[in-house]
Amino acid sequence: MSFFAVENLTAGYGGRPVLDGVCFAVEPGRIVGVVGANGSGKTTLLKAVCGILPHGGSCTLEGNRLEELSPRQLAGRCGYIPQRSGIAIDVTALEVVLMGFNPQLGLLERPTPAMREQARRALAQVGLAGREEENYLHLSEGQKQLCILARTLAAGSRLLLLDEPESALDLRHRYRMLDLLRQWVGQAPGRAVLAALHDPALALNCCDRLLVLAGGRVRAVLDPAADPPQQLERQLAEVYGAISLHRCADRSGRQQLVLLKEPEGCGTIDP
Amino acid sequence: MQPDRTKIKLFCAAGAALLAVLAVAGLFTGKYPLTLEGMLAGDEMQLRVFWTLRASRTAVGVLGGFALGVAGFVYQTVFRNPLASPDVIGVSSGASAGAAAGILFLSGAAAVTAASFAGALAAVGLALALSALDRSGRHSTIVLAGIAVHSLAQTALMCLKLTADPERELASIEYWIMGSLNGVSGYSIGGNLALCALCVAALFLLHRQVLLLSADEGEARMLGVSVGRMRLAVLLTATLAVSCVVSLSGLISFVGLLAPHGARLLTKRSGPGTMLLGGLLGGILLTGADILARSAAAVELPVSIFTSLLGAPFLIFLIVKGRRQA
Repeated sequence: MSFFAVENLTAGYGGRPVLDGVCFAVEPGRIVGVVGANGSGKTTLLKAVCGILPHGGSCTLEGNRLEELSPRQLAGRCGYIPQRSGIAIDVTALEVVLMGFNPQLGLLERPTPAMREQARRALAQVGLAGREEENYLHLSEGQKQLCILARTLAAGSRLLLLDEPESALDLRHRYRMLDLLRQWVGQAPGRAVLAALHDPALALNCCDRLLVLAGGRVRAVLDPAADPPQQLERQLAEVYGAISLHRCADRSGRQQLVLLKEPEGCGTIDP
Repeated sequence: MQPDRTKIKLFCAAGAALLAVLAVAGLFTGKYPLTLEGMLAGDEMQLRVFWTLRASRTAVGVLGGFALGVAGFVYQTVFRNPLASPDVIGVSSGASAGAAAGILFLSGAAAVTAASFAGALAAVGLALALSALDRSGRHSTIVLAGIAVHSLAQTALMCLKLTADPERELASIEYWIMGSLNGVSGYSIGGNLALCALCVAALFLLHRQVLLLSADEGEARMLGVSVGRMRLAVLLTATLAVSCVVSLSGLISFVGLLAPHGARLLTKRSGPGTMLLGGLLGGILLTGADILARSAAAVELPVSIFTSLLGAPFLIFLIVKGRRQA
């Protein structure tokens, strides 16, 4: 039995189907990226898994069907980062992170001092140390996203569902975010990340597996570390048009995949 | 520059002090002169006026304004809209239609209060029942249901006005709609104030949930909130508090909108301290306006004239101040 399995997932908007029988599994300790062109259904997939969108099929986490869980039980197991948080009132960054502890608190309970300390540590971890009392609305879009990441990391979930969490981040913070996710996954057994990513180069270098979405289906499941670049290139070219992939070593000697957009009609270039 | 927690506490302390001063002033303002010496000497008439009229009127001004401020804070937070107020789901229109029916078909001030309360509850119940037909749980559904109920209540009110005697009943309806604490007496407020205080206390206890509801629906759900049920509980509690007040006072304009807005502009926060400050500003505004309504002219004026006159410049001042600071 897989740690997290999605079977025959269908979902859409106003009767228009976007996902059509999506199936995949995520093993513990893995970061699985979802890539695809605009409108391929990445956000729809995340929203359907979260139960925000009505859907057919099933999502099972450690043997529990997510569809059968109450919002409280679901939030205790799954953390979610939307493309943009809807928080539009004057609250501090610390208060935003403390919202993540809601599933652990009774209806009328307040966060404990230990939770406050944990929230402060999470903010420091994402690079927002000393900004706990700042108005969340006054942070930049990237800092807001980091604050929401801190909330998700602090909450103690098993599965993180992230919808383009890097879209507002600069290059440094994109890689920092993925490093933090890697640390989080490795800190305890039985944790995994499913992240829709806007940037395929980031996905190739930071994810253990890639789901390539197109036409509402999973077109390919890629293993960027093991699959030959030609195969990766061919599969991704179906989504992004003509591209070329090259393996390069950075100054530390770590192998990375570099993605170049080629002019359309040039075909693919052998690496 | 963010006001820190100490500043918020200072704002609240200053607000509480000002409200206390206004409450004492309200006890001694009115047509019948009251003196401390007279009451201490046991003047029976003065004591009766004090306990049955002034004390109850002041209590409604303080607690009613406080409740309107707190309910406005809740509405603005949950709907993420600085212009949201309890009337979004038709409570004021329902109360007006109920009061008009009470004036036409029942006798006595207590009966009008009860009819207005029933009208407000019926409007809220209808708005929430209509919104429950859409299972998506969107904010906009409640607002649309509220607009529909508001229109229905306005139509009912128009029909009732058409059947009213223009000399007496129509004037009474219009005066009620303009809002006044004139009809408040010790005999009619007990149940309303007790229920109102309970609702306000519940809203403070649910403050953390109110903040969670300010996130997007999907985000709030993934933070463990049963969005539909919790929003219903919070809005129903806030609306009950408002119904308790407007059924006693008639329509009071601006307090539920201005007080929480002012509190947020002062504190730049949305925590429990800001909610408390919103309540205190509501109490200050309504008690202050009621004192002016009693003393500004030879006849008593509708209190809403003064809540608007005091509130509008204050709001403009706060907006300009906030812009300059930004």
